[in-house]
Amino acid sequence: MDITRRDFIKSAAMQSAVASAAVLFPGISFGAWKTVGSGGIEWKKTPCRFCGTGCGLLVGVSGERAVAVKGDPNCTVNKGLCCVKGYHSVQILYGNDRITKALVRRNGKMVETPLNEALDLVASKMQETIKSHGKDAVAMYGSGQWSITDGYVSSKLFKGCIGTNNLEANARLCMASAVTGFLTSFGMDEPMGSYDDLDHADVFITWGNNMAEMHPVLFSRMLANRKAKNHVKIIDFATRTTRTSQASDKSILFKPQTDLAVANAICYEIIRNDWVNWDFVNKHVSFHKGKTNIGYGTQDHFKFKDKAETVDFEAYKAFLEDYTPEKVEKLSGVPAKDIKYLAALYGDPDQKIVSYWCMGMNQHTRGTWINNLVYNCHLLVGKISQPGNGPFSLTGQPSACGTVREVGTLTHKLPKGVVMKEGARKLAAKIWDVPVENIDPKPTYHTVEMFRALDRGDIRFMWIQVTNPMVTMPNLNRYRDGAEKDDRFIVVSEIYPTPTSDVADVILPAALWIEREGFFGNSERRTQHNEQIVPMPGDCMSNTWQIIEVARRMGFEKQFPWSEETYIEDCWNEYTQFHDNPKHRMAPYNDLKAKSGIVWPYVNGIETKWRYNAKYDPAAEGDSFDFYGKPDRRAWIWLRPYEPPAESPDSEYPFWLNTGRILEHWHTGSMTRRVPVLHRAVPEAYVEINPDDADHLGITNGSKVKVSSRRGSVTMKASINGRGRPPRGMVFVPFFDESYLINEATLDAFCPISKQPDYKKCAVKLERV
Amino acid sequence: MEKSDQKVGKVFLIFAGICILALPLIVFSAFSSEPKGTETSIAESQDMDFDDSGKAIFVNYDQVSKDYLEGTSTARTLDEYYSLRQYPGSPPLIPHKVEEPDLARVECLTCHLQGGWTEELKKNTPVTPHPEQEACRQCHITATEANLFVETGWMSVAPPRLGRTALPGAPLPIPHDIQMRGNCIACHVGPGTVATIRVEHPSRGNCRQCHVPETNVGLFKRKAATN
Repeated sequence: MDITRRDFIKSAAMQSAVASAAVLFPGISFGAWKTVGSGGIEWKKTPCRFCGTGCGLLVGVSGERAVAVKGDPNCTVNKGLCCVKGYHSVQILYGNDRITKALVRRNGKMVETPLNEALDLVASKMQETIKSHGKDAVAMYGSGQWSITDGYVSSKLFKGCIGTNNLEANARLCMASAVTGFLTSFGMDEPMGSYDDLDHADVFITWGNNMAEMHPVLFSRMLANRKAKNHVKIIDFATRTTRTSQASDKSILFKPQTDLAVANAICYEIIRNDWVNWDFVNKHVSFHKGKTNIGYGTQDHFKFKDKAETVDFEAYKAFLEDYTPEKVEKLSGVPAKDIKYLAALYGDPDQKIVSYWCMGMNQHTRGTWINNLVYNCHLLVGKISQPGNGPFSLTGQPSACGTVREVGTLTHKLPKGVVMKEGARKLAAKIWDVPVENIDPKPTYHTVEMFRALDRGDIRFMWIQVTNPMVTMPNLNRYRDGAEKDDRFIVVSEIYPTPTSDVADVILPAALWIEREGFFGNSERRTQHNEQIVPMPGDCMSNTWQIIEVARRMGFEKQFPWSEETYIEDCWNEYTQFHDNPKHRMAPYNDLKAKSGIVWPYVNGIETKWRYNAKYDPAAEGDSFDFYGKPDRRAWIWLRPYEPPAESPDSEYPFWLNTGRILEHWHTGSMTRRVPVLHRAVPEAYVEINPDDADHLGITNGSKVKVSSRRGSVTMKASINGRGRPPRGMVFVPFFDESYLINEATLDAFCPISKQPDYKKCAVKLERV
Repeated sequence: MEKSDQKVGKVFLIFAGICILALPLIVFSAFSSEPKGTETSIAESQDMDFDDSGKAIFVNYDQVSKDYLEGTSTARTLDEYYSLRQYPGSPPLIPHKVEEPDLARVECLTCHLQGGWTEELKKNTPVTPHPEQEACRQCHITATEANLFVETGWMSVAPPRLGRTALPGAPLPIPHDIQMRGNCIACHVGPGTVATIRVEHPSRGNCRQCHVPETNVGLFKRKAATN
């Protein structure tokens, strides 16, 4: 099925119905706000707190309160425009149930406790656990919402001082396949291009990526480019019809998981038509294959290690014989002519093309593979690392790149390199001033396995900061039961009560982003600094300082010597020693303070907008491309086959369950639901059902439906022809609402290479209630 | 009163049609910063999209009919205007029902590009000051629920006081930020605007020759000589 843009506008216009808000809510005035002082507004710059776009905001401050937001015109990301979340972002500071005091569980009840006492308890409990169960019985779990310094001090404390690799982050659920995709194809993480591509490209392809809602500011840049140039095209390639499909010039739907086959078919067509850029391929590309039938990781202690084998172009060509457009049409439901159309767009040497993706490709049991396969499409035609040409992996969290990927808050990572490499351990030990033997050369648990270890009892103590795993873990029932077991000790640093703080033994009150100094790093390698703009309420403390306080109590004063006045700057100056080379040099503190973000590598005061291209990248050698991340200085094309998903609909559970986000709410909604306009726009989650399926089942819009999988069920309202429209045989549920925990139904199958779970595909049944 | 508004509305519908056809020619993209080529002459390559999109005022002034300029309506009040906002300058809520699927810009701009009378709502439509932004519903959303998830302690500054002139009879300063709201005609002229902020002399097109932004920097003070 494909819908042209014109059809959509036509059908949309017919459905237009208008009624007055006064009729909807008589007598309610939504906007009347209490006024603060009469002084003027002072505007301070900060990156936005929400998604990975990294818009620059100017926050209006009056007295000691944040009172308004406008887009930062000096930030090249958003050029003065925000989305509705950004404009209302400062309201997340002022929910009435803000946690401002430490709470400690005593006889089953959470009791307000002096902060110092709570920090003493966290440190002593951690030491006790290490003594009784070993260092690998304590763990830290953070996210891409961590400021860069939060992640940096966690890595230093856990990997350098305590000596355990039990450090993971929500980014494992979000970005891990992007990382392994980059590493396997290019040998270095993070995109080669930048957001400047949005202004230069002729064709945009969104791969399973509803950018109009999830990265709206970037999407509006894409629309502006299309409007300015007439010939620019947006092609939406997805499993569900969304706002992005509506705005696109062509919407192509595929059956879940078959993106693997379609990407291979595109490459088949490129070769068959001889659209290959031979000059580029001969000089800059090598061909490789890995293991197949790699499993799904649903069992505890699942292990997998890929093995690369170098092959030649002929082997690649032979491999693609299974992926003719006609064969793939049968599997994917994508008409062969549409596959050929996509291939022609990639193949046309006169069209600059960018592919965008985010969770659709990353939350995939073959997430690493599909990342590799989209890189293949660009590599075969040499459309990469140039203005307007390139694959671009978007991120979901404000510092998924800056903190988790660059600092390396994952079990196998160090700020530079991986724990398995002696050189990386030596460098870290030197900068951290710890004995090199402290750093364990063996990775421990990735996120899913870490929560399994908590359930099994291998982990007894877990400190969770800036994320909400009791909403986001797939197959949630198991992991909540595990966290609630009697001899598990859970510390949660939070700003508001959540299902995760509900299972905590200690809750530490955390400072929000503009209540402290910090840094984020967005999707385009841009590091963004914010100063403390408003005071912290009550006993709130930055996550960085909480970790430093606990580290000192555990006897690591020498490694954490900084003062409360300058610790953020001191951390930055220490951390950037890890990246002091032209491939990754970060901007100095004072430059970051002065500017609305700086893209790394930042060499001699110049940002690198396109890596691996000697024209733009000071680390690239020669006069054209140099994929210096790989030992052969080439980008790797991978032979990755189609393999089926871990679970598919059957007669008992006949529907696909797809989950995700919506424009108004961000992640688990613990912040956005406390913003009046956002909550009022979408007060609760719902299950989107295709109108024909709903008709068949006798389900009407707004009626209650029970969505059940083999693991759990949720009863919620049906949404028919609402924000998005799934195809027949699929339902979609947003995961922001803690009252409808859809992750009790999802499956904890993951990509064996990245260990990132697939939240987009499992089997459910629907029942009218 | 209503009759004259309806007449304006009709004139306007015809006019809106013409304008929609002319839309690609008259709207400017805030993001179109790409140079058009290196050899073009200065006259061809001049980018007029500067000074808070100051050109939009002149373009809009040229486009708007005399009838519209002089149109009045008492339907919208300043209270209603602020009731849709969270702070002065925040993107307002959509106060009427809109259907999914998202109707995208074309649908919103059918009414909000040029304003005029709407029979469904029995109101004159307010006009957007930034029609060049295509994804309207990236910032403007509806309310479907009256209650909050958690009560909020949100506070913001009071909206600017009206009528502040430096001298009796002197032109008013611009009391609000003009980023995304630099097109004076959109909000201060015509039948859809709030009566208390409607300008009495709409036929004068060069608004900013008299009205200048007001900031909080205090009075000019000369720095002491260094030696």
